[in-house]
Amino acid sequence: AATAPGKKITARLKRTLPVRGPQAPTLSELMRWYCLNTNTHGCRRIVVSRGRLRRLLWILLTLSAVGLILWQCAELLMNYYSASVSVTVQFQKLPFPAVTICNINPYKYSAMKEYLSELDKETKKALETFYGFSEGKSKVRRSVDDWNSTGSDFFQQIPLLKVEDFARTATELHSGQKRKIEGSVFHKDSSIVNSGDSNDIIGFQLCDANNSSECALYTFSSGVNAIQEWYKLHYMNIMAQIPLETKEKLSYSADDLLLTCFFDGLSCDKRHFTRFHHPLHGNCYTFNSGENGTVLSTSTGGSEYGLQVVLYIDEADYNPFLVTSTGAKIIVHDQDEYPFIEDIGTEIETAAATSIGMHFTRSRKLSKPYSDCTETGADIPVENLYNKSYSLQICLHSCFQKAMVDSCGCAQYAQPLPAGAEYCNYKKNPNWMYCYYRLHEKFVKEQLGCQQICKDACSFKEWALTTSIAQWPSTVSEDWMLRVLSWDKGQKLNKKLNKTDLANLMVFYKDLNERFISENPANTLVILLSNFGGQLGLWMSCSVVCVIEIVEVFFIDSLSIVMRRQWQRAKKWWSQRGSSGRAPPAERQGQENPACVDEDLPTFTTALRLPLPQDGPLPRTPPPNYSTLRLETAFTEQLPDTLELGQH
Amino acid sequence: MNLKKYLVRALHRLQKGPGYTYKELLVWYCDNTNTHGPKRIIKEGPKKKLIWFFLTLLFASLVFWQWGILINTYLSYNVTSSLSIGFKTMKFPAVTICNANPFKYSEVRPLLQELDRLIEAALERILQPTPGNSTDDVSPPLNLELWNQIPLVLIDEHDKDHPVILDIFETNQTAGGNEMLGTAGGNQHSEDYETMGNDTCSHQGSDNCTYRNFTSAAQAVTEWYILQSTSILSKVPLHERIRMGYQAEDMILACLYGAEPCNYKNFTQIYHPDHGNCYIFNWGMDEEALNSSNPGAEFGLKLILDISQQDYIPYLSSAAGARLMLHQQKSFPFLKDQGIYAMAGTETSIGVLVDELERMGYPYSDCTMNGSDVPVKNLYSQYNTSYSIQACLRSCFQNHMVEICGCGHYLFPLPEGVNYCNNEDNPGWAYCYSSLRSSIKQRQICIDSCKETCNDTQYKMTISMADWPSEASEDWIFHILSYERDMSTNVTLDRNGIIKLNIYFQEYNYRTISESAATTIVWLLSSLGGQFGFWMGGSVLCLIEFGEIIIDSLWITIINVIGWCKGLKQRRARAAHTNLGFQHEGAVPRAQALPPEPGTPPPNYDSLRVQPPAALGPDSDAD
Repeated sequence: AATAPGKKITARLKRTLPVRGPQAPTLSELMRWYCLNTNTHGCRRIVVSRGRLRRLLWILLTLSAVGLILWQCAELLMNYYSASVSVTVQFQKLPFPAVTICNINPYKYSAMKEYLSELDKETKKALETFYGFSEGKSKVRRSVDDWNSTGSDFFQQIPLLKVEDFARTATELHSGQKRKIEGSVFHKDSSIVNSGDSNDIIGFQLCDANNSSECALYTFSSGVNAIQEWYKLHYMNIMAQIPLETKEKLSYSADDLLLTCFFDGLSCDKRHFTRFHHPLHGNCYTFNSGENGTVLSTSTGGSEYGLQVVLYIDEADYNPFLVTSTGAKIIVHDQDEYPFIEDIGTEIETAAATSIGMHFTRSRKLSKPYSDCTETGADIPVENLYNKSYSLQICLHSCFQKAMVDSCGCAQYAQPLPAGAEYCNYKKNPNWMYCYYRLHEKFVKEQLGCQQICKDACSFKEWALTTSIAQWPSTVSEDWMLRVLSWDKGQKLNKKLNKTDLANLMVFYKDLNERFISENPANTLVILLSNFGGQLGLWMSCSVVCVIEIVEVFFIDSLSIVMRRQWQRAKKWWSQRGSSGRAPPAERQGQENPACVDEDLPTFTTALRLPLPQDGPLPRTPPPNYSTLRLETAFTEQLPDTLELGQH
Repeated sequence: MNLKKYLVRALHRLQKGPGYTYKELLVWYCDNTNTHGPKRIIKEGPKKKLIWFFLTLLFASLVFWQWGILINTYLSYNVTSSLSIGFKTMKFPAVTICNANPFKYSEVRPLLQELDRLIEAALERILQPTPGNSTDDVSPPLNLELWNQIPLVLIDEHDKDHPVILDIFETNQTAGGNEMLGTAGGNQHSEDYETMGNDTCSHQGSDNCTYRNFTSAAQAVTEWYILQSTSILSKVPLHERIRMGYQAEDMILACLYGAEPCNYKNFTQIYHPDHGNCYIFNWGMDEEALNSSNPGAEFGLKLILDISQQDYIPYLSSAAGARLMLHQQKSFPFLKDQGIYAMAGTETSIGVLVDELERMGYPYSDCTMNGSDVPVKNLYSQYNTSYSIQACLRSCFQNHMVEICGCGHYLFPLPEGVNYCNNEDNPGWAYCYSSLRSSIKQRQICIDSCKETCNDTQYKMTISMADWPSEASEDWIFHILSYERDMSTNVTLDRNGIIKLNIYFQEYNYRTISESAATTIVWLLSSLGGQFGFWMGGSVLCLIEFGEIIIDSLWITIINVIGWCKGLKQRRARAAHTNLGFQHEGAVPRAQALPPEPGTPPPNYDSLRVQPPAALGPDSDAD
């Protein structure tokens, strides 16, 4: 009872919408019909043309048109994900970038004495041993005397060595004894410089603490580099053990660094600066960091309306081994960008006015599938250790730090700490230096996979800087300027300032034009389809309708004809076989199942059974829908017109 | 007669539609149209007919939707940029050279004498030298008139609510009577912190005073000095100011352009309010601009300058050096914005890359070609220079200044009939100026009313420096240059004044970003055609066909309406007959009087296609 209405509906549908077979009984007829009736040009020509040559020519032309269409459309598809670049310039009030200023020397040397005295002594001793240099006889004598009593073991573990290259023996700093060097030699400096000429190379050896046969020797062609690198290694070791608060105290305060400040025609002071502790540069101060929620902006370009600061660089308090240049480092960056001072900072000279004109450019790339960049960094499997928005630099540093924690068990000093890790120091991780150098080497050679994982950010802001320097203070104004600045610094500082301790810095917008370079998709779907249409139309006057036609004729109809023929053949074969007396095959059963037949609604399975010529020859009447008739009427319709024209 | 005949013919032509009824017309249209879908509708069996009908509808709506998108895209006037980079022979940029110090101190000293003595005395007071060694007791008494207009004060902000204001010369303390404006500079944590301020009152003796305060005395002194000296110098006539500045022959010692020698006469003098006399090379005002067709320092401009640092005004500018700027021909150099410094005692090499941006004007982007459509009067046009955004902003400011304060600021050109501000004629100008300068609203108005230029050219500079002259060559270089300049055998130059400049094109000297319209009318048409062709295989002719069909159907409607009207009339007439049965006699002759309804089937209207050609109307000759 439940199936009754359904059956009724199907029966009705069949009655009202009868299924007809393909337009022609045989394949060749179908093709002919198609060619005469299709909307595309070309096919008709093939059928209509007289003469073999002409027909062949038309076939060739049609085929080449089809080929061209396919080629061009493929080309269009391949170029779909291309981007066009547009540059817009907008003149407007611009947000002033954050300006981070650091003293090149990270910590006050005088305050660091208690932590570094041993290391310094060691360094001085090395200088004396290898180069015969001593800055004051008495001092060095004392340090040499002291050494035996205070020398801690980790200096001994990684001593500076003087290497005789050919003999592969090294003179050790302390014992002065020669020893054989094992392990591979790394020329840290350069592979281009042939160090064979110089009689001695200086370097240091790092060994795996667990397996002392695993050693790497780092050599340098110049002692300057060797000593600095060696010093830095030990320095990081020491600094890693000092807590952050203490380090902040050891470094410069805002009052120490900033003498005067002037922004946009108004005075500013240290409250406009945010402290930011950089592991290698100590306390840095960021102007306009946006920390309190407001970002200053500039509505007038020019040097008077930017940031003008006078910095106090206390040259006397510099660490002699760690930093060898004097001045400050600044970096102009976006508020939510991490300042990579050590990588991309600009150095500021003392006793000079450095004027930095900025030009603002904002760029935006299209992310996938146009290019391989990341919008927020969320899709990068590297945890962002910095509390700032994603950048390639951040990703690389984080990736390295992660690898460091994974393989060495502790974190490198120059980068922020991942959760649950702590900085490497020699007491807890005696092996870390060797591990670090090995890892760093791998990182540089792109063996850690960081460079592959990290992608560049899709949008970035750039401040192009034009730096120029003038003498400051000028000879005639020097006198009063220094006096007044000393007064500014405060009466407690009783000495008059020296001009080599001062640096004047001006950071300003050259113009308020913001250049915005953005990529836009060159193609949209609409344009792609238009281009398809243009190609199809140009070569064959084809459209989607033609495509549907082709699908209908070439796939559905011709398939049905082929199937019908196969069916007939099978039937014939079966009837011959059946006469010899055999069991019916399974498919026959399926076809004869009345339920199946009923449910089979529209397409070719029913169409298959339509003609069912039992054994008679093919010339059964073609399906009624088949319209050679139409064609004829079409011709007769045209006839009068031509006749009409002929008459006149 | 002829006309009537023609009209009748035309009517016939129009009437000669493809069918009598809508159905006939539609079938005819579907059968004969060049668009691909409709033909299928009538040619297929009933089920496929339905499918094709919906497909055609779907495609037609798709076409219209996409056309909408395309037209929208066109109307948004997008641009694409193309970048070209390379080397070509280009106009060498105009090079403006100024001294960081505007006037020779030896020349302006008489004017600034009072001021200098004041500032020196003030500094003595501030810095509190030990009372014993005051040596200048014998100096003549200070003229406090200048001082009283804008005094320097010390502001003690230990107590935030009641800052103590201490005039440097009068030691009486006026506690917080005046209103405080500006950023509070003091810090409560520091023990003995004092800020400096200068006090600008709107009018002498009035209570409306503003303290601009500075956290640094150095800044306060400089700003104060600039205010005062501006007021003094604005009274000096222009030719006198030019005389007091640096002369070309004193400043430009040597010049070489490519292989050709040049000298100070090749420079155009211009008086720049910030920097005094400036000299422009290759400005292109009088003669053709020079081209440079080779990259490298050998083919650029080489200059040796002397800035004579000994003659600087000590309090006015603390930085010493030459100020230079590269800019386009016939544009005004805005040195404070785009200028760079060159340091004394060095050789500065500047490699130039011309970074051009060529934009399309309205409606593609909101920029101006020559500034004529900007509502701000360009005051820099008196220098015969072209429009630039900086010129517009400064003109805008000066116009505001004139409007509000009644006088023009010394740093900007004057509109007609207005004088520069000075303390005597406009005692309140400093107050007016500083409030206007810090007004954000005023700046925003100017930013909104000025437009950037469509062709933006920037000179990207790669600057490098080296010490010059070297110690070994120092001697003879100074000797020769001194001899050439002063005709004396004594060395009149030194390291603190001499500057060497090399300005040249880099290997790639241009980078041009030019815009072109992303969507042109050709693009629009081809995209429209592409869409129509893609979905329906149609073209403009198909649209015309469609229009024709609409006209035809209108005709059918009209004919039907006429027929219906006539039928109605007839029926009414008949109804009248039936109602008024007794009026038979009267009705019959009336019916005869009427024409025997000749128009009911339009006789000429042809379903001619079916008829033999002989039956064709006589109007077919129009074909």
